[in-house]
Amino acid sequence: MSLADQIEALLFVADEPANARTLATALQVTEGQVEQALEVLDRRLEEKGSLRLVQLAGGYQLGTKPEYANIIAAFLKPQRQKLSKSLMEVLAIVAYNQPLTMAEIEQVRGVQSDYSVRALVERRLIQDVGRKPVPGRPVLYGTTQEFLHQFKLYDLKDLPPIDPNREEISTSLFDEH
Amino acid sequence: MAPRQSLAERSAISALGVIAPPPIHVTTPTFDGSLAMLFQCVRDHKVHLLDVPLYPICESYFLYLINLDDANLDEAAAALSALAYLLERKAWLLLPVEDPEPDMIEEMMELPSPTAYEYEVAIESLRIWHEERAQIFFRSPESGPDTYELPVNLENVSTGDLAKALEKLLRRAKPEAVKPLNKPRKSLSDQMRIVLHTLTDEWQSLEQLVQEPYTRSEAVYWFLALLELIRLGQAAAQIEGEDVVFARASRKPNEAEAKS
Repeated sequence: MSLADQIEALLFVADEPANARTLATALQVTEGQVEQALEVLDRRLEEKGSLRLVQLAGGYQLGTKPEYANIIAAFLKPQRQKLSKSLMEVLAIVAYNQPLTMAEIEQVRGVQSDYSVRALVERRLIQDVGRKPVPGRPVLYGTTQEFLHQFKLYDLKDLPPIDPNREEISTSLFDEH
Repeated sequence: MAPRQSLAERSAISALGVIAPPPIHVTTPTFDGSLAMLFQCVRDHKVHLLDVPLYPICESYFLYLINLDDANLDEAAAALSALAYLLERKAWLLLPVEDPEPDMIEEMMELPSPTAYEYEVAIESLRIWHEERAQIFFRSPESGPDTYELPVNLENVSTGDLAKALEKLLRRAKPEAVKPLNKPRKSLSDQMRIVLHTLTDEWQSLEQLVQEPYTRSEAVYWFLALLELIRLGQAAAQIEGEDVVFARASRKPNEAEAKS
């Protein structure tokens, strides 16, 4: 029974991403050994079978390969609700500026956002992360582990850059004049 | 009575549309000059009104009124309006105003950057990642057997689903109001009657059924009554999307159930 097999077994029963440290503690090996074994497991799963090792939300989890999505969807009939444009906008504002208050979200958007914030809280994509030490002590919002999971992000450093061409466009405009 | 035009020419303060006050001389420790000059200086922020005592100016005005030989109401009114302006300005200045904290001023002045428009590229990337992620399936956290068994068969509705529905309802609950002691408590059968009356043949989620605002205990009581009605076969539950929805049950409860 190899270390990769043991990790596969643990990841099979885990219902949330497990990080290298947790796995190392459970298996009483070093984190380095776990990471090496994870690479072995990743290669082996990519070669054959319907599962793959997915790195997300600060850990590793076994997930199905995208080519099996249709048959699984036909079997499970999941109700995946798409996020509307306004929900995506609020989510992005929270993700890039967290923690921030409802008033700050509305300041960026220029429109009332309480419905979107509540909908995102209900979907467990954002949550109350504390209170801002200003008069009224408004609630501060931040993203959740579920957000990382649903967008296949390992951590917040993996967020896509905000409009990478913005700086270049403005520079070129200034150059012309 | 002097015509308005000639008064205005003497020392016009036309910006406010005020006829220039007559030459009332004001002598205070911080200002010495005419009332018209004081008015002008205050408006131009050349004199700080807090440094000028208005009491002697008011005295000068009354003196002027007493010594007014031929009653020139236009002049008197002009002087009064100038004085009233100064008094009002000073009254506002004397009101205690809490200075905002320096940090707050900076925060208020700070413009958000970037604006919502500039997130568009990032939002598009996130949307694509979300769709890609939707193609991967993971072991569901609720995939294990339920800890509790339901006394009635609700087909695909599990205890976990019902618990999630209650949790969702509780998240919207308002803080508990302070109630007087010994308030008679509504019985569960009363609550069941209310719930039964609210249920329709149309499937509705708990949030649609329970009218806001409600407290946590009201939400729990509502849920308990609903569970009891399900047990008695008078209410039904089913999964619709991600929610558990409820409706009035079409089947009649049997006698044993009704008695219990």
